Amino acid sequence: MQSFRLNGSRVLEVELRGDAVRAASGAMIAYTGDVAFKSAGMGGGDGIRAAIKRRATGESVSLMRCSGKGTVWFAKDAMEIVVIDLAGDTLKVESEQLLVVSDSLRTDVAFAGLRGASSGQGLFTTTVTGSGPLALLSAGGPPIALEVSPQYPLVVDPQAFVASRGQLNQTFVTDVSWRNLVGEGSGEAFSLRFDGTGVVYIQPEER
Amino acid sequence: MTLPSTPFNPATLPDNDNVPGNHYAYCRRLDGQLFMQTGRMIAYYPAPGSSGIRFEPLSSATITGFVAERFSAPLYTRDWVVATGSGHLLLGDRGYDINSYTLEEGNLTLRAANLLAFDSTLELKQSIVPGFLTLIGTGTFLASSSGPVIFAEPPIRVDPQALVGWADCPSPSHHFDARWMTGFLGVAGGMLGVVSGEERQFDFTGAGTVLLQSSEHAVDDPHLLKQLESQVGTLAVPGLTRLQSVIQSRLSAEQRR
Repeated sequence: MQSFRLNGSRVLEVELRGDAVRAASGAMIAYTGDVAFKSAGMGGGDGIRAAIKRRATGESVSLMRCSGKGTVWFAKDAMEIVVIDLAGDTLKVESEQLLVVSDSLRTDVAFAGLRGASSGQGLFTTTVTGSGPLALLSAGGPPIALEVSPQYPLVVDPQAFVASRGQLNQTFVTDVSWRNLVGEGSGEAFSLRFDGTGVVYIQPEER
Repeated sequence: MTLPSTPFNPATLPDNDNVPGNHYAYCRRLDGQLFMQTGRMIAYYPAPGSSGIRFEPLSSATITGFVAERFSAPLYTRDWVVATGSGHLLLGDRGYDINSYTLEEGNLTLRAANLLAFDSTLELKQSIVPGFLTLIGTGTFLASSSGPVIFAEPPIRVDPQALVGWADCPSPSHHFDARWMTGFLGVAGGMLGVVSGEERQFDFTGAGTVLLQSSEHAVDDPHLLKQLESQVGTLAVPGLTRLQSVIQSRLSAEQRR
């Protein structure tokens, strides 16, 4: 498995040994060795089907493929970085929070109900499946991991949502009436409610 | 899957404190009502068996009486909501540091953009200093700042951008650097645009506490325009004409850039 190492909390160090990772375009800050950077294409490297889905859904993701031998350092807007290792399960993530995914992971687009529509980030969300590490970005401070269990359902502001994993059922709380009055530039009036068992990652700043 | 850190749940979250390891998020154990700025809720856990937490605009008919008694800052009503219910409420403010403060039979004036939330036991009033709000009474409030907050005692002169608020002391006055004043008087006031950035300070005298943030990056204030607008109403025709010409020249200067 590839090694994703944090260098401080805002720089990610990835060791390439002839393998590849996909990273947010423009996130490379330095590299040593023999590494090639190539746009992963309009599907983010998931083939034509995903590309068409992305086109259609607006859940755009601009990734580049970095392959070769050497060390690459990644960072974006001095945001905090969190590394998550997937072991055959699926992570749902807001595409603009994606920094680097191991090439052993598959990314796709999944229907996410109305959440995307309400926060203006497309109707769909990105899913990452497989075994391997990935790095996510968190704006405004370190990400917060919140546990969801049958005893403790969780309600999240869609604009603070970063990622979720586990057996979660996602619904919309619409009795929230604070944003449709003024709001931070959006007419969003939803909160996301998670029931089930899993973990939700949020960031302390709203997109 | 390995986790970067153990996820929090209501049993492990602090009752009224910053989320561990995170100055930028605050967990408030809510049981009742809390005034808070719109859009600052990032997540909440409803208390088991409760109906959760509701967020109502101040104009909501069910709470107007309650609000009118405690919130006398008409300029800001549209930016505040009342959170009602019980549970753990997580607040974040655009990545600024968040701290909690307790007032006991006291008064504290704060830059409006820095005030995040306050107990319904406190009373909020618009300060006579534009852009500032005054809290009176007993209770807890949350304030954000760019970097940690420093407490200082008067007499002190502070940079306007670094000022977060003040407690118990009389309102500050402006202080202008003597050399700058000389120059200002000398060129008959035509050089208002020439600033080095440090010639204007706030002067605090008397007894009390002054709160400063450790960065000169002021927390963005979306209310500045509203304050100016509200003051335009006090102007008569000559004043308005003058203002118009000032705005015209500023506009053309900006457009030439």
